[in-house]
Amino acid sequence: MREPTPTVFVVDDDEAVRNSLRFLLRSVGLPTQTLASATEFLATYPPSQPGCLVLDVRMPAMSGLELQQQLNLRGATLPVIFVTGHGDIPMAVEAMQHGAFDFLQKPFRDQDLIDRIQKALAKDAKTRAALKEHDRIRRRFETLTPREREVLALMTQGKPNKVMAADLGVSQRTVEIHRARVMEKSGAASLAQLVRMVMDLAPEERTGG
Amino acid sequence: MTRVAGAAGPPGPPPPDRDATEPRAPSGALHGRMLQVSRLATIGEMAAGIAHELNQPLTAIANYAQACDRLLGKPGADPRDLRTALREIAAQAVRAGEIIRRVRTLARSQPVERSAADINSVIGEILELMQTDARVHRARLLLELTDGLPQVSIDRVQIQHVILNLVRNGLEALSGSGSAGGEVRICSGRTGGDVEVAVCDNGPGVLPQELERIFDPFFSTKPSGTGLGLAISNTVVRAHGGTLAYRPNRPTGACFYFLLPHETAE
Ligand SMILES: Nc1ncnc2c1ncn2[C@@H]1O[C@H](COP(=O)(O)OP(=O)(O)O)[C@@H](O)[C@H]1O
Ligand SMILES: [Mg+2]
Repeated sequence: MREPTPTVFVVDDDEAVRNSLRFLLRSVGLPTQTLASATEFLATYPPSQPGCLVLDVRMPAMSGLELQQQLNLRGATLPVIFVTGHGDIPMAVEAMQHGAFDFLQKPFRDQDLIDRIQKALAKDAKTRAALKEHDRIRRRFETLTPREREVLALMTQGKPNKVMAADLGVSQRTVEIHRARVMEKSGAASLAQLVRMVMDLAPEERTGG
Repeated sequence: MTRVAGAAGPPGPPPPDRDATEPRAPSGALHGRMLQVSRLATIGEMAAGIAHELNQPLTAIANYAQACDRLLGKPGADPRDLRTALREIAAQAVRAGEIIRRVRTLARSQPVERSAADINSVIGEILELMQTDARVHRARLLLELTDGLPQVSIDRVQIQHVILNLVRNGLEALSGSGSAGGEVRICSGRTGGDVEVAVCDNGPGVLPQELERIFDPFFSTKPSGTGLGLAISNTVVRAHGGTLAYRPNRPTGACFYFLLPHETAE
């Protein structure tokens, strides 16, 4: 499956600013989509679309800060770069406290904006890759049987086969078979990697709850 | 109560609501300090609004100019792209100039000449002007003036500007809603020790989410609005020691009213 191309979303209520940003970003080859309001953005943005958001802090109806909060509530991971006027520093500080990626003051040097966008896109790609990897691992662990989960738990504690067999009241041979299944299903190349995968999962995902 | 100009209308306006909204106090530490001198606070707000507004065309100009620079650095730049950007730059420079021109008008709105006046005659002097305006908007202008009001110490022309602004807004709200039977009502009366002038219409009223911004300079929901009418009116009324505020009209519409102290403390 091909990934959609990362897109820079520009949300600004000022048409001239919006269009000039689209012109600028396209001139450096960044796919850009502009929207006139936060509501418009929320209505059209597909969460699976990678990219970043360049957001004006001060807008009528729904401010940039409110949009950021909405995105946080929806669990959207899109990095947000705030664009502010001179008087809006307190707002920018608040935005950063709520996890904004960065902010810039209008008017700005094009290179400053482009650098930040590039960093934001890289961060988004990393977040999405990590989420995907996590998902992949989770789905693999879901295929483990209850018994295999028990073996997995003991394996990650570093218990030798003999101890495991005693703990579970089965033969060493049976433990070995379960062990092999766990390694195979998880796709881990080594015990160390298996442990890392398990650490990456939430407790309820490990036990299959 | 004296009724003038199209007096036969529905009964008078509802009594003032207590949930009326006054212009939002300026926010931020800087504004907090300025708040002590109320007139300065308003000018401070204006300045912040103007700075913000000027920033928009400047940002656009900077973006287009930098993009042109980049395009020219690449071989085979399309002159049409460059022309688009250059035209936008010119348009945005004109927009910035327009903002500065408006600021000059703003700067002139400081009280100059105050004298004792009867508010009803102040309104009477601009009646014809407002009626012409109303006709253009196909709306009725109604007056409900209370007799025997105390005199107020005002800059006549400035207060007339305020009333004109409020009436114009009412008429624009009516023509925006496009329904027949639109009315704007100007009332004078007494509230406590103050003289009150209210301009009410039966248009759509102000949306709750826009309420706290309508007095902000440059806030406008009209395609070609300046967003300065209420901001300037507010400055003028406050400079007179009065207050300008909004309350919803009943059953529908907007009601902007201002209070003037009948004896201005100098
Ligand atoms: N009578 C009214 N009814 C409804 N909305 C109003 C009314 N008067 C003002 N407003 C709102 O307040 C905004 C600001 O008004 P104003 O400062 O006079 O600027 P402008 O008229 O240029 O838009 C208007 O754009 C409109 O949204
Ligand atoms: Mg107006």
